[in-house]
Amino acid sequence: MLVAGAACSSSGGETETSIRLVVPDKNIRTEGVECAGARPFQHVHAGAPYTIEADDGTVVAEGTLPVGHAENAEPGIDWGVERIPTFCVVELDVGLPERPGYRLRLDRGRPLEFVVEDEPVVLVVG
Amino acid sequence: MRRARSRHDAERLGSTRQGEGGAPAALTLCLLLALAACGGGSDDVAGGATDLPGPVPDGVVYAKAPADAPRAPPFAAELLDGTAISASDLWRERPLVLVFTASWCKRCAESHRDAADAVDEHDDALAVLGIVAEEDAQAARDYADDLDLGQPIAVASERVWLDYAAREPPVVVLISRGGRVLRGWVGGVPREVLARRLDELVERP
Repeated sequence: MLVAGAACSSSGGETETSIRLVVPDKNIRTEGVECAGARPFQHVHAGAPYTIEADDGTVVAEGTLPVGHAENAEPGIDWGVERIPTFCVVELDVGLPERPGYRLRLDRGRPLEFVVEDEPVVLVVG
Repeated sequence: MRRARSRHDAERLGSTRQGEGGAPAALTLCLLLALAACGGGSDDVAGGATDLPGPVPDGVVYAKAPADAPRAPPFAAELLDGTAISASDLWRERPLVLVFTASWCKRCAESHRDAADAVDEHDDALAVLGIVAEEDAQAARDYADDLDLGQPIAVASERVWLDYAAREPPVVVLISRGGRVLRGWVGGVPREVLARRLDELVERP
């Protein structure tokens, strides 16, 4: 699942790419607070390992997730209260070598396939 | 500092909990067993049995829970040192504050400390039990060491998290003496708010 990502400048054959990892948990939070994936997405949290593979299976990036922040799950709705349905969004900046496609893998869940076209790449955890 | 007080409480209990030590006889036995039975770190694991509360102080009276308050789901778990516990054993004698937490969660650590501070105001009239997920058990030992709350931390199954609707830590749940859920706070609770609720629960003549 993918979309987006215009790449920024490149160095050493890699292009710095911004990825927004969206956890569609619709958990009730205050917008902007630090968050992790709510159950059943509890494997998405600060410090959890991830790898990014090129489409040939080569690992081209790896690391650990930074903390996420809560965003309004329904941006068109002004809920009128402090605690609202939110998604937890984790933002990553990773250097990627130019490849036709990539897969982001977490400890659990299906791999998230993407290509880099516009920025940022938006991946929804499934 | 807090942990030292808690160990003292455990010794005061005179129970057979893991990790009690200090008595000459125990030391002698330990030496005789040449590290086999008494050695190792289980007697000094933060969040373990030595951090369980002591006896309820004399003269403490608790406010009654509303009759329509839901029953807290009972559960069994192991503390970070492997000691088996039952939540109902803890709430049978005194109100219990559960703190669902995680080693990687800074907000949780703050919330856990706030809850422990509020409970400490009442000595052993109240108890707090940290809850971590099974996959977090190893890292939780460092978390417990760093926080050094002097309060027990249990490793609980996914079932327990679901039973308490704890989808994302921190979640704080206040349970009455006798096991009724009085209140839950998703995302944690400010210390002063929890302290107020605890003050309402505990009466000292």
